[in-house]
Amino acid sequence: MKTIYVRQERCVGCRHCEVACAIEHSHGKSLLSAIHEETKSNPRIFVEVIDNYQKFPNRCRHCDPAPCMQVCPTGSLHRDENTGSVLVDYLKCIGCAVCAMACPFGIIQFRKVPGLELSREVNAKCDNCIGRLEEGQIPACAEACKTSALEFGEVNDLIRVARTDFTTRIITSRGAETEVPVIPENIKAFQAVMEKLATLS
Amino acid sequence: MTGKESIEIAQQRAMDRTDQEIITKTIEEGVETAWDRFALQQPQCGFGQLGVCCNNCAMGPCRIDPFGGKTSRGVCGADVDTIVARNLLDDLCVGAAAHSDHGREVVEVLLETAEGKAQGYQITDVEKLTVLAKEYGIKTDGRDPKDVAKDLAIGILEEFGTVKNRLQLSERAPEPTREIWKKAGVMPRSIDREIVEAMHRIHMGVDADYVNILLHAMRTSLSDGWGGSMAATECSDILFGTPTPITSITNLATLSKDKVNIVLHGHNPLLSQIIVNTAEDAELKRLAEEKGAKGINLVGMCCTGNELLMRSGIPIAGSFLDQELAIATGAVEAMIVDYQCIFPSVPATASCYHTKVITTSSKAKIIGASYMEFNPENAVDTAKSIIKLAIENFPNRNPDRVRIPERPMKLMAGFSEETIRKALGGSYKALIDAIVAGTIKGCVGIVGCNNPRIKQDYGHITLAKELIKRNILVVETGCSAIACGKAGLLVPEAASLAGEGLASVCKLLGIPPVLHMGSCVDCSRILVLAANIAKELGVGIGDLPIGGAAPEWYSQKAVSIGTYFVSSGVYTVLGIPPKIFGSSNVLNLLADGLKGITNSAFAVEPDPVKAADLLEAEINRKRKALNI
Repeated sequence: MKTIYVRQERCVGCRHCEVACAIEHSHGKSLLSAIHEETKSNPRIFVEVIDNYQKFPNRCRHCDPAPCMQVCPTGSLHRDENTGSVLVDYLKCIGCAVCAMACPFGIIQFRKVPGLELSREVNAKCDNCIGRLEEGQIPACAEACKTSALEFGEVNDLIRVARTDFTTRIITSRGAETEVPVIPENIKAFQAVMEKLATLS
Repeated sequence: MTGKESIEIAQQRAMDRTDQEIITKTIEEGVETAWDRFALQQPQCGFGQLGVCCNNCAMGPCRIDPFGGKTSRGVCGADVDTIVARNLLDDLCVGAAAHSDHGREVVEVLLETAEGKAQGYQITDVEKLTVLAKEYGIKTDGRDPKDVAKDLAIGILEEFGTVKNRLQLSERAPEPTREIWKKAGVMPRSIDREIVEAMHRIHMGVDADYVNILLHAMRTSLSDGWGGSMAATECSDILFGTPTPITSITNLATLSKDKVNIVLHGHNPLLSQIIVNTAEDAELKRLAEEKGAKGINLVGMCCTGNELLMRSGIPIAGSFLDQELAIATGAVEAMIVDYQCIFPSVPATASCYHTKVITTSSKAKIIGASYMEFNPENAVDTAKSIIKLAIENFPNRNPDRVRIPERPMKLMAGFSEETIRKALGGSYKALIDAIVAGTIKGCVGIVGCNNPRIKQDYGHITLAKELIKRNILVVETGCSAIACGKAGLLVPEAASLAGEGLASVCKLLGIPPVLHMGSCVDCSRILVLAANIAKELGVGIGDLPIGGAAPEWYSQKAVSIGTYFVSSGVYTVLGIPPKIFGSSNVLNLLADGLKGITNSAFAVEPDPVKAADLLEAEINRKRKALNI
């Protein structure tokens, strides 16, 4: 099973994933055309920040079974068996938002979809960049991420990296430089300063 | 949002009671402020914050993976050290240019005044003119001050693009300090040249050695502190008088319920001082009464406010983050701006009320503001027109939307270097004796801005209180001085908050433990103060038990000020991290490596109590080295 694995501590909050996502889901699929399209393309990934400046790029996890699919009364939500992606049939979507109530991650947004002859707002959630996957590319957000906060791959491989890192730390009391690069000292110092700044009274 | 919630948010945003009251009003009335925009901007891009984003050329923008991934070089091949250093130099240049171009305008008006072309200006401080003329080797005996001023103005203007490769005012620095500059190759050569050369070095394919880039950053900052900024201070003094201790009031309660309120905001005193002089005009007063007002109330804001406060005792309504709040009282007829630190959204804020925003500099126009160009040839006429416009706007004030906080705070300002020296009996011997005896441990200059990253004024006030408690004298400029003014630290009675030694000195001299030395270009006064003390002791500035701090800085000007402090030998603690954390090498050089060159360094510490610990430790280190 392939997935996007989030390494939260590596997210610098640049929101480049949001921009790449919006471009990918625009009609013209280019930055310069996307910003002028009448129906604006919105990101389907959300870089959320909490008050100590920690960030988390939150996006559809393409759950299986997917709570959203299970509650959708019109069968608009369905699964692509090849990639495991949970997709939306926009024409069947009635905008009832029951899927959003069921979603454990709160990532569903109702929007007009660029390039679609629909005047109503529909569930415009992450489609895992299904078109790109079918062409052998990785999702736009993971491609855009230059710090590997978002990585696309076999879920067990990505988890193994984290596991090895944890095991190494436990056994050697140090970071696992070979698998997951440790956070450099200067970046740690920066994160500490920002956290202190955020918590000053 | 409930009223209680608005009040809680206001308390999180600012320390000052009057600020909190008006922040609450902005929330209730839905008026957008910098705090709201700051929240909307979260999260801010980490590449930018770390300084690892390069947007200099059209092969980019490029960014380096701060976690050591594959993208370790930009398209051109620049590594993280080059990119971080170049970005820092770029920021510093903008700051140095802002100070120095401000300085240039003051010198130009001095020249026009000497030539009799400037309306409403005069040579006010002949003593200072004479001192400067002597430094520049200009004859003064038996000459008309105007002729001397003309020669001096030309002499200073020449240094902006000099071929002599020497800045006269930098020779005020003590010899050991100048020796350090010579050895490091950072002796400033001219004001504009260093900035132009920096721009050249930032171009792709020029300077790639981060050490070499940072050395030039030091030189550029010195051409600001000991050049452009110092020229601004000195020539403003010649034109409008060297400040002497003066008492006035501060905070948003300085706005008047029944007079025409005019806020003078920005940095350059050239027009605003003429507005102050012109507001006494009987015809204007009559017009104000005709329009139903009880008079004209001028208040300052930011460094224009500091300039007017120091010389004319004009009340100061607030600092950088107060500009929108002043408008949101609903009681401001006009906000006159020159330049620097003016929110481009100020006309939008003003459009929520009857306030008119008037831009006056051809360099700083804002769409939505009225533009009334300032020229020295007709400064008085322009000042009159501006005041008239404000008066005519008075009947448009909507009393239902006005809220002016109660109780302004008293403050004392005007501590120029000359004033401090004269108060001490003409030399620094008394101060040096007190420092040697340990009555006063040392001195720290707290400077810089506000930044919505930190509760407004919290850093300035907490640090100042901590230092004076530890018998460390505090001198301040800019928003820092205004912050401590609002907090009641700029009055002689505040000596009760100081340690025993410092308190006794303050009581003896009748001065506050925190001295207001002026606007942000007046950080040059702090340099002269340090230089003169060092010269009396026969040491370099880097040997003195002093420090600097910018707890709430935001502006590129602060990058330049911090760097000329450190380059001059003053250990400086920043409360907001500069955009250099992406490069360990740059970080280490500035926080550590410089100690071997200038005997000073930068530190980053947001917590003002811990910042005080760092400064005290540095002061003790230098005291020990001096055997005191």
